[in-house]
Amino acid sequence: MALRFEVLGRFNRARAAHLTLPHFVCETPLFMPVGTQGTIKGLTTNQLEEIGCQIILGNTYHLALRPTSELIDELGGLHKFMNWPRAMLTDSGGFQMVSLLHLADITEKGVTFQSPVDGKPMLLTPEESIQIQNRIGADIIMALDDVVRTIITGPRIEEAMYRTLRWIDRCIAAHKRPHEQNLFGIVQGGLDPVLRDICVRGLVDRNLPGYAIGGLAGGEDKDSFWRVVAQCTAALPEDKPRYVMGVGYPLDIVVCSALGADMYDCVYPTRTARFGTALVPEGLLKLKNRAMSDDTRPIDPACACMVCKNYTRAYIHSLVTKDAMGSQLLSYHNLYYMMQLSRNLHSSIVQGRFPEFVCNFLQKMFPKGDIPEWVCNAMEVAGIDISSCCAPFPSAQD
Amino acid sequence: MSSSNSIHSSAMKFAVKAWSNGRARAGVLHLDCCPTPIDTPSLLLSTRKGLPLFISPDLLPSLPSPDSHLLHVSPLHFLEGLSMTTISKIGGLHQMLGLHEYGFAAVPRDSIQCLPEANSTNKVGASFETPCGRLLIKPAEYMEMISSLRPELWATLADEVPAWVSDKRNKTSVDRTIKWLDECIALSPTGGAVFGAIVGGSSLEERQRCAQEVARRNVSVLEYHD
Repeated sequence: MALRFEVLGRFNRARAAHLTLPHFVCETPLFMPVGTQGTIKGLTTNQLEEIGCQIILGNTYHLALRPTSELIDELGGLHKFMNWPRAMLTDSGGFQMVSLLHLADITEKGVTFQSPVDGKPMLLTPEESIQIQNRIGADIIMALDDVVRTIITGPRIEEAMYRTLRWIDRCIAAHKRPHEQNLFGIVQGGLDPVLRDICVRGLVDRNLPGYAIGGLAGGEDKDSFWRVVAQCTAALPEDKPRYVMGVGYPLDIVVCSALGADMYDCVYPTRTARFGTALVPEGLLKLKNRAMSDDTRPIDPACACMVCKNYTRAYIHSLVTKDAMGSQLLSYHNLYYMMQLSRNLHSSIVQGRFPEFVCNFLQKMFPKGDIPEWVCNAMEVAGIDISSCCAPFPSAQD
Repeated sequence: MSSSNSIHSSAMKFAVKAWSNGRARAGVLHLDCCPTPIDTPSLLLSTRKGLPLFISPDLLPSLPSPDSHLLHVSPLHFLEGLSMTTISKIGGLHQMLGLHEYGFAAVPRDSIQCLPEANSTNKVGASFETPCGRLLIKPAEYMEMISSLRPELWATLADEVPAWVSDKRNKTSVDRTIKWLDECIALSPTGGAVFGAIVGGSSLEERQRCAQEVARRNVSVLEYHD
């Protein structure tokens, strides 16, 4: 174990904590930007520090292809290679199994990929994944799991869940640096509560430093999504961090935090920036829209970031999708927004005003009170009263 | 050539400090907006819509100062997606870009994307090949852009031609450039140092003729080369 997790404050299931990792002391709940190829697209590491980023994510699959984990190890690990002084997390390569399935073949041994760079077969076993992650040197490494999309049904999900448990033992055995790197297990099991429960118990038995809830954020309906998160957070140990992989939208992060999750990652903020969309309290602002061309307001008047302090929507509109600077500035704002959201979640829980924060957040996003039903249901389970932001009970449908 | 070694305008002061044995000279440029003076010879940073490519404004201070405080701006960049009315409303380049301690030198063309199209230039305006197509820019339109953007230094509109054009075409380019010089000066906003454009291709006589005409207007000079 190379971490400490200290809960500072709670509201029902929600908790705010200090997560002490080898490279940084983090405050949770927190969002982790994704730096797939050893870089967050559009930002320097200085800028990431300035906006308050605590942990970033690297992808084992991509880094193993280029520049290879051996080279990274030779050059002192990924922290040194990309000049990032704070915490880092690498995933196992597992998700790429799902997203690049046409190139992959999954067996008990591991996953065979056809390398997209040169077509050569690449075998990713649990042992190999952990060895690569040992060389990369991140504070948190992820077990190789057998990931199945939640939109799939049938025996494949059960097979994947049991295989994930068998692979976790192989990952633990292969892990050569348990005092410097924390191996997290990943809960699978699709949308089936029985399978999820078996998987949680199996992982908790292995007494790992932290746990992730995997296999979500892949197109399943929101009602199923929150119920799986709620079930897992209820069953996972209180005193260890809980990471919901691939989440995501600000609304999803607020709901999952209310249900007791601590860590999140997603490409969404930076990817949507490259398409000209900014994250704002009301939801989304599409800078490509013609109406933006003479709007001299900042993207978000309430935002304190460098972009909102200096630029008008009109200027950003002239840049987006045409000039790289547009992507850079929007990525900067969107990540600042996510960092601010993380800070607000942490401080509102610590200061005993989490329900007020949630209501405020929902009010801004749904000013007409049309909060989606799944959010209302989740908040009820979380024990948070959001009736003040909901519209009066709708009349019967016509 | 003017024999004075210093020039003043409301936004800019320039003085030559030293000469080599030949014709090279070292000088210093003071701009009201820049906290420290800029040594010349000096390189202008290229920009795209006013911001350096790939270096966001918060990272600019990491470049050596004051040498990186002079930015080249092409007004033509803004024709794609940003109206002059909106730019005026925002308050000009400094406000729009959030770069208050940087000096802007506006020249119609840039070195990559907005290039003079000599075959399409006519007596009415200068033609440029740009990312939003071929544009004909008249002096009045150009000066409207300069008035909205309010750069510290700006060049007058020129008829730039490549070295291989006929003598007749070359001479025409000088005539037009001088005519547009006067039109630009007549419409020039207060503040902002005018740089008169000097063309003439590889003909020494035409270059001299152009330079003499520009010198008569008592402005700074901007010499174009192919």
